[in-house]
Amino acid sequence: MRRVSRIAVAGVATAALAVTVSACGSSSTSSSSSSSDKNLGLALAYDVGGKGDQSFNDAATAGLDKADKEFGYKSTAVEPQDGESDADKTQRLETLAKQGYNPVIGVGFAYAPAVKEVAAKFPKTTFGIVDDNSFQAKNVANLVFHEEQASYLAGVAAAKATKTNVVGFIGGVDVPLIHKFEAGFKQGVADTKKGVTVKSQYLTETAAEGGFSSPDKGESAADGQIDAHADVLYAAAGLSGQGVIKAAAAHKVWAIGVDSDQYKQDALAKYKASILTSAMKNVEGAVYGLAKSVHDGKPETGEIRGSLANGGVSLSDSNPAFANDKAVQDAVKKAEEGIKNGSITVKTS
Amino acid sequence: MKKFDKERVLVAVAGPVIALVAAVLLTSVVLIASGKNPFEPYRLMLEQAGYSDVQVLIVNQASLYYIAAIAVALGFRMNLFNIGVDGQYRLGAMMTAVVGAHVALPSFLQVPMLLLVGALTGAMWAGIAGVLKVTRGVSEVVATIMLNSIATSVIGYLTLTDNLGVLVGDNVTTGIMKDSGWVPGIDLGQDVGEIYGLVFLAVALGIAYWLVLNRTRFGFDLRATGESETAAAASGVNAKRMVLTAMLISGAVAGISGLPLLLGDVHTYSLSFPAGLGFTAIGIALLGRNNPGGIALAALLWAFLDKASPALDYAVPVAYEKEIATIMQGLIVFAVVISYEAVRQWGLRRQQKQVGAQLAAEAANPNAHKEVAA
Amino acid sequence: MAVELTGITKRFPGVVANHDIHLTVRKGTVHALVGENGAGKSTLMKILYGMQKPDEGSIAVDGEQVSFSSPADAIARGIGMVHQHFMLADNLTVLENVVLGSEKLHGIGGGARRTIQEISDRYGLGVRPDALVEDLGVADRQRVEILKVLYRGARTLILDEPTAVLVPQEVDALFANLRGLKSEGLSVIFISHKLGEVLSVADEITVIRRGTTVGTAAPAQTTPRQLAEMMVGSELPTPETGESTVTDRAVLEVRNLTVHARGAVSLGTEAEPAAGGLTEFAPAGEVKKVLDDVTFTIHAGEVMGIAGVEGNGQTELIDALIGTKAADSGQIVFLGEDITPWATRKRRESGIGYIPEDRHRQGLLLEAPLWENRILGHVTEAPNAKGFWLNPKGAQADTRRIVEEYDVRTPGIDVTAASLSGGNQQKLIVGREMSHDPKFLIAAHPTRGVDVGAQAQIWDRIREARREGLAVLLISADLDELIGLSDTLRVIFDGRLVADADPATITPEELGSAMTGAATGHLHHSEDSAADTAPEDEAR
Repeated sequence: MRRVSRIAVAGVATAALAVTVSACGSSSTSSSSSSSDKNLGLALAYDVGGKGDQSFNDAATAGLDKADKEFGYKSTAVEPQDGESDADKTQRLETLAKQGYNPVIGVGFAYAPAVKEVAAKFPKTTFGIVDDNSFQAKNVANLVFHEEQASYLAGVAAAKATKTNVVGFIGGVDVPLIHKFEAGFKQGVADTKKGVTVKSQYLTETAAEGGFSSPDKGESAADGQIDAHADVLYAAAGLSGQGVIKAAAAHKVWAIGVDSDQYKQDALAKYKASILTSAMKNVEGAVYGLAKSVHDGKPETGEIRGSLANGGVSLSDSNPAFANDKAVQDAVKKAEEGIKNGSITVKTS
Repeated sequence: MKKFDKERVLVAVAGPVIALVAAVLLTSVVLIASGKNPFEPYRLMLEQAGYSDVQVLIVNQASLYYIAAIAVALGFRMNLFNIGVDGQYRLGAMMTAVVGAHVALPSFLQVPMLLLVGALTGAMWAGIAGVLKVTRGVSEVVATIMLNSIATSVIGYLTLTDNLGVLVGDNVTTGIMKDSGWVPGIDLGQDVGEIYGLVFLAVALGIAYWLVLNRTRFGFDLRATGESETAAAASGVNAKRMVLTAMLISGAVAGISGLPLLLGDVHTYSLSFPAGLGFTAIGIALLGRNNPGGIALAALLWAFLDKASPALDYAVPVAYEKEIATIMQGLIVFAVVISYEAVRQWGLRRQQKQVGAQLAAEAANPNAHKEVAA
Repeated sequence: MAVELTGITKRFPGVVANHDIHLTVRKGTVHALVGENGAGKSTLMKILYGMQKPDEGSIAVDGEQVSFSSPADAIARGIGMVHQHFMLADNLTVLENVVLGSEKLHGIGGGARRTIQEISDRYGLGVRPDALVEDLGVADRQRVEILKVLYRGARTLILDEPTAVLVPQEVDALFANLRGLKSEGLSVIFISHKLGEVLSVADEITVIRRGTTVGTAAPAQTTPRQLAEMMVGSELPTPETGESTVTDRAVLEVRNLTVHARGAVSLGTEAEPAAGGLTEFAPAGEVKKVLDDVTFTIHAGEVMGIAGVEGNGQTELIDALIGTKAADSGQIVFLGEDITPWATRKRRESGIGYIPEDRHRQGLLLEAPLWENRILGHVTEAPNAKGFWLNPKGAQADTRRIVEEYDVRTPGIDVTAASLSGGNQQKLIVGREMSHDPKFLIAAHPTRGVDVGAQAQIWDRIREARREGLAVLLISADLDELIGLSDTLRVIFDGRLVADADPATITPEELGSAMTGAATGHLHHSEDSAADTAPEDEAR
């Protein structure tokens, strides 16, 4: 038993040592050179699977590039690690704020707790949080969108375009944010044409499984829906949406893109004839807008919600086949007016 | 006897040291190949380790790694590969968060109760794989991998707002836990942060792990089964019961591995609760040679690589990719597997040779041996 | 001399080593190397073929000292080996198989084909270069293997148990080939334990027993019987039990014990290791009984020997007695108590000692220190445990005692079991089992792979315990050991106890013929009957 107690002592001592060692070093933020007199520009912190999704996150990057060009910023964008916790996100935002970036924007609702914590520590810096309005603070802009409104219009377009009376919805990950896309889409379809079936499917349960970042998953889901006679597919699935569009092109059915105007994207140029339209979410504008407001000395704060009315969300008409189809356009216009004047209320779930 | 003790220490230390050195060298090769300074990143990362707030992050993260790796190591010690630690961990954390949000006992009851909930959930989940293996011969590797996926879906279902979920913005959570279940940490100041109170749970688990394995009859049976299933069976170990028990304990430990974070910091299970801990833990258990002390060092090393590497992104004048740390972690796992096996065989041969030589010397001088024996 | 091995010694921890082996193979002869399984033949051939290095001794090829560090070195010196298990790629042609790895010799095209044809014709192998190997029968494949070796320029061929896979006609054809090789001046080392074949084909015979050469013989002046005696070594000191210590107190009674082959319906809990994988199901209605209605009684102070060719139910009998396999019907009564449903641990705690047949798999934790091995099997008993806790100090002290009392040659108790020699490992196991005062001991092959000195010590221990009233079930392939140690003898054949014999009068040969199922009932010793037939049996 003597040995046991020795090990217990060693264990406690080690733990105690760890604590004291921690207590004596200086902290990284207090010692790093805080050269925050000059604004370096804006900083984006992505969530897992961010950069290069041709969709949501890249839209944020586009906003950053635009701000860089206009204000001569040297902005930065940082990607996360796998399996990190809120503490890591907090540390990341803190580092960015300390280094003098303003505004600091967390892309994705996962940053909410971190933004909330760090914003309190850096009252002079403006923070942005995309897709979250769970809290408000004086120096935080909650950049949120009426995704369901654009999705409603996508639903109207899909209902008009379908010949088989079966349309499909493919969500990247089964989360409330994507449920909004689905709800708006379904309502749009139902209000436009009776008897159209919406096949609904989510690729994964969690983002960690790759629902937003696996074109192969999107493709096989799309193949399945096409087999079930769907001839218009709406994908709200980030990078995975590319697979959906590819499958649609291969089977000569319509795909509806999301977040950015996917008809115009180089990576999808091969398939663009099959991209009917895109339900756009102007993350680019929101990011740029926040940066501009900071630059102009009147930082935005509180909930900034993009809607059809303020152009924060919209339906693209770059595909001539879509833009020139009068019947469809009329229906879409009518629905848009209805949403704007409040005669149509789009559900969010 | 002294000599063989030293021998064993040598063999025990040689593996990880060789692995680490190899991993560092190979990482430097990667850096050189991509035209970067091959040493600067290490200096930057070590500098980070000197900052107290980074140290707090490291210790906190290591506590999660440690508990999960102990769960993996328990399985390893009896030749069970519990790949399901990740699912057991997430499910355990979620159930604990749910119970913590709905039940409010006094703190001295609430915390043990929550630990029990986490442990039972993890044990139940791992137990499914155990029962399948015992009754149907299903490999625990396959069963636990599948249970990981099933856990994901179960969590997705249970956290639907119709069931137990609470929507915060667009994030699905299980609601904030009652504060009697919050475990206070050691606050080291505004700039530095807080060390999770349950870091001490990790330490206690490490001690318990050592005691059970090395000082109890049960632990001996478990190790014997791991070393030679046939010998254990002949010595009277009920292999099936052992498999089931080991799975249950491993799962119970896995079930509480997320609790330092849950009870010490976030107080809710949400979409942003870190996933993948159980897989990282496999590497850590390997690196730590299933030894409680070794695992502690390995967990700290892993946490260090995790927490010191983000600084590489902001380094001036030249930024490095923080993925260097990920590359290094991968290389460590590789190197560990190879070097351990090599060192193990080398050690075995070396000992056999020494024993042979010693006995040959005795045989050459039989009278001397007789004197010793008499 | 084609090949000359002098004083070859190879030490392996835990297994029989080659010790001071001498082997001389003359040019243009077939030299047979005979010995029992595990006598050290394969180790010796691996040394000659460069797969292992000897610790002592020298190898000379064509009168020149050589040292091989890989088979490539051996091939370069003209030594080739045909393994028992063929190493051919089924989906390639004969030509491709032969050329594979030796593309430099004659290329891979016409040159190679010509050479193969030429070798085939010269030695009458009848090999077609373009045939697919998967279309060939076993004997043809063997000829391809021989050709492969010749193609690489071998002058000395090692054939490892070449007749094991052949039918008699094919054996004759092979022997004709071998004579062809011999007439061309090549040498063949022919490894076998089938004495009839050896005598018909070999020019010289070297016999190996317990890792060393015990002599050479010329076939013309040797009978199978003499060869068999050289192989099993009946001139060795045999164990003698002395006067009988058998009492009339029954320790173990086995009644109508029946065990079905795995997969059949089992009544008790089957303690098979779970990792064994999927259960194989026997076809319905076809339940093989691996133990069939076995009944016997062992009394205090009695050693009961079980003779039998391996695989006739001995393993199942041991498993059923120690409890790792459940009895499908029948009863095991130990000291008046029905222990049939008991788990292994309870059986061991109540006084059943166990020297398992495979000490590496069942008796030891090879990579654990000796003192942990001393705990194995007795983890619940003093001095290894105090209640729920282990007692390492107690176990270590007692291990030191066993090491001393049983003369386990080891530098200490912290070395791993794997670093001990087989004999010392076995002594440790015997010491461990005897330390818990068993009432009944299962001794399966207690001296297999053990050197002569340790063997005598183990026999002494068993005899000593028997005097003090221990009941022993002795299972062994060594008939001298069985006859010498046992008070009563039973013969097991196809899961049944078919015969019994009195060890005082029976001879190994008579026992041997009963083991093949040729004789049943009570075996009587007769001066002329079995004496000559037994070796013949072995030769077939």
